[in-house]
Amino acid sequence: MESPQDAAALPRDRRPWVHHYGAIPADLPPPAHSNLAALIHSSAERFAARRAFTSCMPNGMNGSLSYARVDEASDAFAVYLREELGLAPGSRVAVQLPNCLSYPVVAFGILKAGCVLVNTNPLYAVSEMIHQFRDSGAEALIIIDLFVDKLPEVLPHTAIRHVVVASLAQFFPPVVRQVVQAVLRYWNRVIPPCQVKATELGLALAEGRRLRQAQGIEVAGYWRDLVPESLAALQYTGGTTGIAKGAMLSHGNLLTNVSQIEAMAGSHISDGEECVLTALPLYHIFAFSVNLLAFFKHGAHNVLVPNPRPIQNLQRAIENYPVSWISGVNTLFNALLNEEWFSLYPPRKLRAAAAGGTALHAAVAERWEKVTGTPLVEGYGLTESSPVLSFNPLVGVRKPGSIGIPVPGTEVRLVDSRGKPVAPGEPGELTARGPQVMQGYWQQPEASAEALRDGWLYTGDIAAMDEDGYLRIVDRKKDLILVSGFNVYPNEVEDCIALLEAVQEVGVIGVPDPDTGEAVRAYIVPRDALDRDTVKAHCRQHLARYKVPKQIAFVDELPKSPVGKVLRKDLRAEYLKNHPETATAGSPAC
Amino acid sequence: MLTPLEETLLAFMMAVIMLGMGSSLTFKDFRIALRHPQAIGIGFASQYLFMPLLAFLIGRALQLPPLQAVSLILMGCVPGGATSNIFAYFSKSLVGLSILMTVCSTLLAVVMVPLVLAVYTSGIDAAFQIPSANIIAVLGVLLVPTLLGMWLRRRNANVGACTELVGGILGVVVIVFLIATWVPRNWQLLMTTGAEVYLAAVGLGLCGFIIGYGFSRAARLPPLKARTVSLETGIQNGPLAVLIVTLSFTGETQQQMLLIPVMYGLFIVITSTVVTFYYRRCSLREELARDQAKVEAATQGR
Repeated sequence: MESPQDAAALPRDRRPWVHHYGAIPADLPPPAHSNLAALIHSSAERFAARRAFTSCMPNGMNGSLSYARVDEASDAFAVYLREELGLAPGSRVAVQLPNCLSYPVVAFGILKAGCVLVNTNPLYAVSEMIHQFRDSGAEALIIIDLFVDKLPEVLPHTAIRHVVVASLAQFFPPVVRQVVQAVLRYWNRVIPPCQVKATELGLALAEGRRLRQAQGIEVAGYWRDLVPESLAALQYTGGTTGIAKGAMLSHGNLLTNVSQIEAMAGSHISDGEECVLTALPLYHIFAFSVNLLAFFKHGAHNVLVPNPRPIQNLQRAIENYPVSWISGVNTLFNALLNEEWFSLYPPRKLRAAAAGGTALHAAVAERWEKVTGTPLVEGYGLTESSPVLSFNPLVGVRKPGSIGIPVPGTEVRLVDSRGKPVAPGEPGELTARGPQVMQGYWQQPEASAEALRDGWLYTGDIAAMDEDGYLRIVDRKKDLILVSGFNVYPNEVEDCIALLEAVQEVGVIGVPDPDTGEAVRAYIVPRDALDRDTVKAHCRQHLARYKVPKQIAFVDELPKSPVGKVLRKDLRAEYLKNHPETATAGSPAC
Repeated sequence: MLTPLEETLLAFMMAVIMLGMGSSLTFKDFRIALRHPQAIGIGFASQYLFMPLLAFLIGRALQLPPLQAVSLILMGCVPGGATSNIFAYFSKSLVGLSILMTVCSTLLAVVMVPLVLAVYTSGIDAAFQIPSANIIAVLGVLLVPTLLGMWLRRRNANVGACTELVGGILGVVVIVFLIATWVPRNWQLLMTTGAEVYLAAVGLGLCGFIIGYGFSRAARLPPLKARTVSLETGIQNGPLAVLIVTLSFTGETQQQMLLIPVMYGLFIVITSTVVTFYYRRCSLREELARDQAKVEAATQGR
């Protein structure tokens, strides 16, 4: 294997994608700020009077914060964390909020205080919350009032000493706030009583403001010493192995990724003029880096939607605001295209849309461009890389089905199982190196050493690169199924089964098999009546024999991640739990 | 019947409800409604071709006395009422389309109602007065608040959303109020009315829903639009029919002729509520299905 020094001097001909950069700089200049807090503050000063965030409920009720107000409120929150709660720089603070106005205030406040942000999925079950809070060692938690009923069970097992509660309608105009709260509390009955000691966010901010004034605190002092290497966030990722690990993302990691995103998309972003629709959850790294950080830097107006399902929930947001950018996942774009109000009258100001998270279907991208007249480009990344590693250029060649070319400052190599680069065009594990790659997993030296080797991040994704440097994901390495020594990629089998009209969704995994080592097993959510023989006959028509599923199970739904990725590991775990006798028959697909 | 005060109050509440409906709309909704202009033609045909014919046939089948038969036909050929827009809203149908259809059928009522009545009631000596001033007033109560609501939403989304919420709540209040007060108020009437009048009053609305839906589907309108047309066809402007009768007749004749419109007015609120619950379920199911629709299905329009 070549040394990192060799790789750093990767010649241009080893980076064929550079020819497709066009106006994009091949080498990335270092970020102008040394930490995220400085970036947030300077952007807030620059665009002070502009609207920064609007939270739009499905019925159109909304609240907004200007850049100046986000800055002021997050300053107050930083003071509250440091002075009132007495948190030290580097203390972990967990945030469990859906998309709402409190999110940017709280997240920016944590970064400004020099603390470490621990994004947590608000829908987590008690056991998941306990694991994440214990593992991160979080000392404070900011949670949405909808889920406080889990706290009496969670808190005793964690180091959390302070709880701050926010509401969906926080920062809304007073009357509207009362209406939204009343509807949630008395009509939907989704706000449980809080049975632990907690401070309401509004009161915490008031206290922060009071302390700031009384003690004459200069908030910038909190972040002055933060350097690019300082830890900014622990972003938990399940990976494919099960137990969630905290990817350590530094200020430098995230700042670089912001620069990389703007290098790729800058041609379609005008400072202070964009309006971006944020339907994906901000606690997820994709929306966090792209929508929250990158667009904030450019003075965009961010329209936050608390819950994009059903898709109708987005209608008022899209009708009431001049949306110019949308970020999302395949299912979101597909669902939008299926709505008459969207496909007949797409947003007039729309400039571009970015897809990530899961594979974007070529058919969706094609139809999107036809309907809206704007590009929908797919990118690729991991939590471990802040997240963007590659993107299709907005200007120039876009290849359908491709995850694009590596972003500036990023090196990508495809390697075989021994870590040797594969021949051009051949599939191999995607490894990447760049300033956006995490520092490692929090308190997991072994897992870190496994993922980061000689500075290269091993993504666990098998990809192929064409002669132009465009990448195409073949499948997850860990999902690869070995049937009698033959490689079967689950994606290929899934795509084939999904062609059947009666199939709503499908997930394919490998399970231990006494005859073939592993066997292909398909989980199908049917939309109409369907039997196993039909599926097998269909697969036999389109696939080599060894790829045809040996086992087929019909289920009501598939386990999915917050962005809608089918979780094959959960399917495998459940199968092994129900069939313990098979676990020794062959090695599972790892 | 309602007292003048109650009528004024009801008119005021209707205006507030329409303000709320308007706040749920943008001009885009009307453009979407007009994308299938045949929907309005289909609604028009259901309204002025099928409904009077249906009323005529029901009258024949139940062997209603002439005066009641005529008032049933009158009931069949009056335009759609503003209540149809409220039910369209609650059933998650296309409020924009519903309002457009109400406006069109009401505008044309001045010509169409006498024309249709002349066709079906020839041989019965009846001089109907069509109160064109009142029809214009109906349009005013419908259109002015709707446009105002749309403007409110445009100016301030929060004011629009709150108005919509108030309009929606008031809509439920009015529906409950109409049902709850009508029955005790007209207990005597309900007890003395014959079964055939019940059948005629309930049947006209119900058949209207079915025909409106079936005809729209036969004409290849998508289900959502068909449901909107269905509600529009079944729900007639009862108060307008009452007004036409009171203007055109006096004494005993008037009383006899009022029976059907008054009975219709009660039962249409009840049947519409039931149908609305059903349609709403259909709309939600379709929303969910669209949400999960496959990419391939979307691309190839299968």
